[in-house]
Amino acid sequence: MKSSRMLGLIMIAPAAIMILLFFLMPVVLTGVFSMTNMTTATGISGGAYQIAPHSLNDLKSTMPDIAEQMSQPRYTIDETGLKAVEGLGLDAGIATELRAKHMGEVFKTRREAERMIKGLDQGPSTTQVKQISEQFNRSVVNSRFSSRQELFTALDTLGFKLTDAQKDSIAEATYTGWNWTTENFSRIVSSPDMARVLFNTLLYVALVLVLFNTTYAMLLAIWTHYMPAAPATIFRSIWLLPRITPVVIYVLMWKWLAWDTGFISVLMGKFGYPPKNYLLDNAYNAWLFVILINGFIGASMGMLVFSSALKAIPKSQFFASEVDGASRWQQIRYIILPQMRWPILFVTCYQTLSLLASFNEILLSTRGGPGKATEVWSLAAYHTALNNYAGNLEYGLGAAMALVLVVIGIVLSLFYLRIFNYGTLVSRPLIED
Amino acid sequence: MAEKSQVSANYSTWPVILALSIVSAPLVLMYAYLFLDTITDTAVGSLIPDSFTLRHWRFLWETLPGKPNIWLVTLNTLIFTTSVTAVIVLVSSMAGYVLSRLNVPARGFFLAGVMVLHAFPSVTLIIAIFIVLQMIGLYNSLIGVILVKAAIDLPLGIWLMKGFYDTVPWEIEMAGVVDGASRFRVWRSLVLPQVRPGIMALGLFSFLSGWSEFILPQVLAPGGKVQVLSVYLSSLIADDNNFDFGTFKAVGVFYIVPVLIVYALFHKYLMNIYGGGSKG
Repeated sequence: MKSSRMLGLIMIAPAAIMILLFFLMPVVLTGVFSMTNMTTATGISGGAYQIAPHSLNDLKSTMPDIAEQMSQPRYTIDETGLKAVEGLGLDAGIATELRAKHMGEVFKTRREAERMIKGLDQGPSTTQVKQISEQFNRSVVNSRFSSRQELFTALDTLGFKLTDAQKDSIAEATYTGWNWTTENFSRIVSSPDMARVLFNTLLYVALVLVLFNTTYAMLLAIWTHYMPAAPATIFRSIWLLPRITPVVIYVLMWKWLAWDTGFISVLMGKFGYPPKNYLLDNAYNAWLFVILINGFIGASMGMLVFSSALKAIPKSQFFASEVDGASRWQQIRYIILPQMRWPILFVTCYQTLSLLASFNEILLSTRGGPGKATEVWSLAAYHTALNNYAGNLEYGLGAAMALVLVVIGIVLSLFYLRIFNYGTLVSRPLIED
Repeated sequence: MAEKSQVSANYSTWPVILALSIVSAPLVLMYAYLFLDTITDTAVGSLIPDSFTLRHWRFLWETLPGKPNIWLVTLNTLIFTTSVTAVIVLVSSMAGYVLSRLNVPARGFFLAGVMVLHAFPSVTLIIAIFIVLQMIGLYNSLIGVILVKAAIDLPLGIWLMKGFYDTVPWEIEMAGVVDGASRFRVWRSLVLPQVRPGIMALGLFSFLSGWSEFILPQVLAPGGKVQVLSVYLSSLIADDNNFDFGTFKAVGVFYIVPVLIVYALFHKYLMNIYGGGSKG
């Protein structure tokens, strides 16, 4: 049936377009941007060519004479200059003669240019010579060209004879936009800061995952499982709160708890401890709070998954084991845990990725501090590319850092698809052809 | 659960309740003080509030210095959230149906793609998205951040709707097709009413997810004219000069109450999604 295929294409088109534009394209572009040295200074669209003093300095090391010449003014007899001479109100013959005899000539120094002007048939006076020569003073320093072509046309009219290799290095030194480079990756590999951040990331993911997402969530699920219905519902609702509370408020409450006028400080004050900001006073406390803040959210999610998996265990298994005299621990060990293998694997898989990538909670609580003690990879990428105190945002380097996460994300999601048996999930449902 | 506790009568439940109460105490405390501190004043060095006040709520009738008006921000949040929800529900209910029932080219590929993207941590793309929005001029606009947020939540929505369509009996459509209705008509009039719980769940989930979203608007639309509540609150907290937890918490309560209401009324619909491994 052709019409149903047509309808299918029309109905899936919006989803396909949106996913293509805001999902797949950014994946590719993260890769593209990671190969550039884009920063706030270079801008994100193309740049221009500017012969700034610092670019001449750069050139001095490779081609000292050309850099020196470029930093000096030159004298070119051109139309603009002639117009200006006409505007000076001198003898009109001067401009005419210059146009006829010397148009397009270039003089390397003021003296040469003035010698030529003095030699004119009209014979201008010495003050006039100075006035006239000034009109032809052309310096390339601080001038800006929108393309490479314009840059070299300008240099050419000023009489610079350059080889292709020289042109390349001048273009490179004067370009203000971004360039292609693989430097980002070598910076990531060689920087000791990055090694520290990597260590932080692994520590963070491992601790939150092991302590809270699985162990503590399982504890909550089992505890509420062995409870009368009413308190079980209450506790489940309480532990659901971190998951449904918007992250900004959730972290605000933790901040209040740890602040120097907050709950812990006041409480400890009763025992004679001076108030302090427990969140940021040292690295250990910062880590403790980062783990707790993220851990409680992870526990929420794990508890939901494990609770519903627990409900799916046939009640008869519990009854039978109790008749046989099993203790509660034995029930947990031999009935519950063996049947929790898949839910635990599922939670581990999902949470590894989301812990690796999400930095909301750390950004809002410690901002990676004190110092860089709690800076994790995703947060470091954010700080590099989107927000930092120095103000020079390094989009290229940040994209390279994000690319690492993107690649890990793609590899792990594909891998999860395999373990969670993709084949059965996409088995042909009811399709009419 | 009731018959369970009967059988377990030989186990006492109070140690477990006690243990859980202790570990839950910090959470209960934080949420209790969240509400309490907005309407009371507490003397320095004390934990017990001593007077009632409404001054923490003054942000509702006067604009705080250097901040946009709260009602503008609330309006932005509503526009952002409802647009995101509408786009997600509309687009996913169409795409989900196609993937469940219609034979389109590359269907398997599209399904696998949706699944991978569902697991994929989308926040890693934020740098590239930021640069793209700057290039196409949608930076600092609600439209841009709405499209991005909707696209990011789309794989979950499509997957969820496909699951709901899969449970609809084939006979319903067969009957419609036999009676001469077009496939579109069959979808619109016969199948769509069958998946209303799915649409409801997806709509609620998208609403809550949009309402809570922080990092996308923070990075892609931080400007005062397009600020949403999460960005407003975080900028308030980040301002070191006026540190006042009473006001922060009042804004926080103002911001969280819709979430709690929606959740209290509809948590049955939502449990499916929250339990089903959306990214958290």
